[in-house]
Amino acid sequence: MDRKINLSQLADLLSQAGGISKTASEQFVKNFFDIISQNVLSDGLVKVKGLGTFKVLQMEDRESVNVNTGERFIIEGHQKISFSPDPELKDRINKPFSAFETVEITAEQAEEISKAGSQSESTSDSDESDNTDLNPVAIEPEKTDEKENDDEKEAIEKKSPEVNDVTQKKSVRVLLKILVWLLSISLAIVLGVYLLWPVLGNTILGIVERDITDSRKTEVVADSTGSAVAPVRETSPVKPAEPVTKPAEPVTKPAEPVSKPAEPAVESAGKSETSPQKPQTPAGNAAAKDETPVNPYRFQLNKADEAKDLSEFTAADTVNYTMDGDMTVHVLQSGETITVLALKYYGSKKLWPYIVKYNNISNANTLRPGAKIRIPVLRSK
Amino acid sequence: MNNKQFLTELSGKCKLSSEQTERQVQALIGVMENLWHEGDSVSLSGFGVLEVKKKNERVSVNPTTGVRMLVPPKLVLTYKPSSILKEKLK
Repeated sequence: MDRKINLSQLADLLSQAGGISKTASEQFVKNFFDIISQNVLSDGLVKVKGLGTFKVLQMEDRESVNVNTGERFIIEGHQKISFSPDPELKDRINKPFSAFETVEITAEQAEEISKAGSQSESTSDSDESDNTDLNPVAIEPEKTDEKENDDEKEAIEKKSPEVNDVTQKKSVRVLLKILVWLLSISLAIVLGVYLLWPVLGNTILGIVERDITDSRKTEVVADSTGSAVAPVRETSPVKPAEPVTKPAEPVTKPAEPVSKPAEPAVESAGKSETSPQKPQTPAGNAAAKDETPVNPYRFQLNKADEAKDLSEFTAADTVNYTMDGDMTVHVLQSGETITVLALKYYGSKKLWPYIVKYNNISNANTLRPGAKIRIPVLRSK
Repeated sequence: MNNKQFLTELSGKCKLSSEQTERQVQALIGVMENLWHEGDSVSLSGFGVLEVKKKNERVSVNPTTGVRMLVPPKLVLTYKPSSILKEKLK
């Protein structure tokens, strides 16, 4: 580990592996690298199959800032030798980390990571400085973003328009600004809820419990009567998960499936009538719960999730259940949101991230009425 | 200079047949790869250092869409030319 292998050691290993004399292998290794360095100087490009490509790159003049004094100076254009490994070799080298994939994350998570990583970043500075020439684009936006963040906070505190003038130099920056705005607003909301939670928590939890027991009772009643009207049944899965918001919402919702015959809830009601002996199948949708006292799609959220505020849920929270095929396809109506769909099909607003993830929705705020949303079947892991 | 030209020149210098040269080149790369897997670096005077470096995970932002991506950590084979070679380049 961490040895520095020189020419003679390398020749030694090669002579063992290739079964040739030591002098011959030393000569070979010497020639091998001599030819590469000579030709990269004369040709500007050497390609070796299985190893990679050596190339001379022309670097343009660029301006830089002395970190200590803040002085601007110009790094003159120069040539440098780049090396890009053969793709196959690259993959084999990276095998220990090949399981990782690049993932999309939200602004909040990015901030958390940058906070957590700030210490480690400073320690691994030497690594990154080596690397800056290779991927300057990837690193710089992050840094400007952090700077923007500070600017933005000042702007909010002072409400001074001068700061805006400075920040609006580039259109990219404007975009970043909007992002940071959203971020700070959501942070404020989370903070507010966190502070108010001790006061509100007990009363809300009390309501939740009462609501759940109430809904159980109505389910049992519906069971015994057997042939209740479909829209009425629809209310029962909706009700228990509607502990916090006003009662106006659940009342308006059951009307929708009736007015729109294409609504999947109505279809499912029909399905369950034709196949009442299979209440556990996906056809069970919302209506299946009338046959069995337990709705397969209403989840007992684990306690950690129950305690969380709705706004704390992000797309990354899709870990407790697996998505297992389509339950149905929902055509989005005006005024409906993903959280409303989650409430409708799963009985909890908090499960909205699964729908977002299942449909690869990048921005749930720009969905249009008429959009087809696939609703996944959720199963506990 | 492509791989073929490289092999031709190498076989001429070492007075080996083209097949032998190709085999030797593969053997040399194989030997070096094993060293890299163990975390060793190959350092040759007058040429430079070939070694594997770990790149930390990082958040990258697409400047046009603002989409943030978490790029995982990875191991990358890097080449640092020797100062002699850099000097010749000027």
